[in-house]
Amino acid sequence: MHRLSKILILLASVLAYAQVAHARESLLPERYGRVIISNYSERAGLAPVVFDHWLHRSQFTCRLCHVDIGFAMMAGGTKITAATNKQGFYCGACHNGKRRYNGRAIFASCSEGALLKDAGCERCHSQNKNVIKNHDFNVFVNKMPKKALGNGIDWEAAENRGLINPVDFIEGVSMQRTSIKAQKDFSIEANVTWMSPVIFSHKKHAVWNGCEVCHPNIFPIKKGSIKYTMFEIDAGEYCGVCHDKVAFPLIACERCHSGSLY
Amino acid sequence: MKNRFRSLTIALAMAGSVLFGVPHFPDDMPPSRGIADAQDDWKNEFEDICSKTQDSMALTADELKRLVGRCDALRPRIEMLDETQKKVYLKRLQMCRDLFAFVLESKEGK
Repeated sequence: MHRLSKILILLASVLAYAQVAHARESLLPERYGRVIISNYSERAGLAPVVFDHWLHRSQFTCRLCHVDIGFAMMAGGTKITAATNKQGFYCGACHNGKRRYNGRAIFASCSEGALLKDAGCERCHSQNKNVIKNHDFNVFVNKMPKKALGNGIDWEAAENRGLINPVDFIEGVSMQRTSIKAQKDFSIEANVTWMSPVIFSHKKHAVWNGCEVCHPNIFPIKKGSIKYTMFEIDAGEYCGVCHDKVAFPLIACERCHSGSLY
Repeated sequence: MKNRFRSLTIALAMAGSVLFGVPHFPDDMPPSRGIADAQDDWKNEFEDICSKTQDSMALTADELKRLVGRCDALRPRIEMLDETQKKVYLKRLQMCRDLFAFVLESKEGK
């Protein structure tokens, strides 16, 4: 009996350690917003794709990828294939070897090569591979204004200071739009008396997302017609579609609950 | 008289194909301008509709209804495209339609 208890305690400790180690890994700033895409990769003999949101969000608006290119808002939801990329859709909309960014041609995704190694598959299909990335998070983050949690970057300040200038239009994919007329900010009362109300800024959200990223798929409701709960948000609904995944995490309460209590 | 004219036309067509051969179109030949125009047509319509999402709150209920109708009319044309184009553009069109319908509902509910 005594030995059994020891084994159980040891087992519980190992499991607890594994949980903590996993949580710590996902809390690393460079890994925040990382998406592993593995719909078909392993069947094709390739490692799953490691997609780092920090790199792409520093260069492009959310809407460009999630509306104009058509990427789903859920990891793995797009079901990207090598064939679609080669046809110039999804990753291939930009990664086609021809489109240029900052004076450099963007490498082609899923291009044909004599050998897989030559084709450069591992630039994206890199999970558990020792791939040296062209863009170093630590170098990038050094130049950025800091904010606790998430990627550790104050993205809004970075844009305001002109340190990033996310592209919102790509030729042949996006359409010319008029500039957005943002709706007014509004306040959402907290469900508990001790928490400040949320001040929701349409302007801040619309500048990167446009309208159709959020409405009606994520927010199919009219203002004030529903009581949001943190349980639902924590489970990945409403604000939780982006916050806690790519946008700053939910534990940064005061960044949304910023209204006055009195 | 009518039959004689038809026979003459068929005979001339056969003689022409023997003399000049049957035209051959290779697989990689670019589509004629007419076909290309037809292909661009749905895309122009798609872009014209979806370029208005940013203005949706400023549009009247009638304008929004017309845009929803145009989305519905365009859908069958996109459904005829190849699988990948269909997947991408149907999703994009649906997002535009849903937004217009959502704004319309909000305005009518006021």
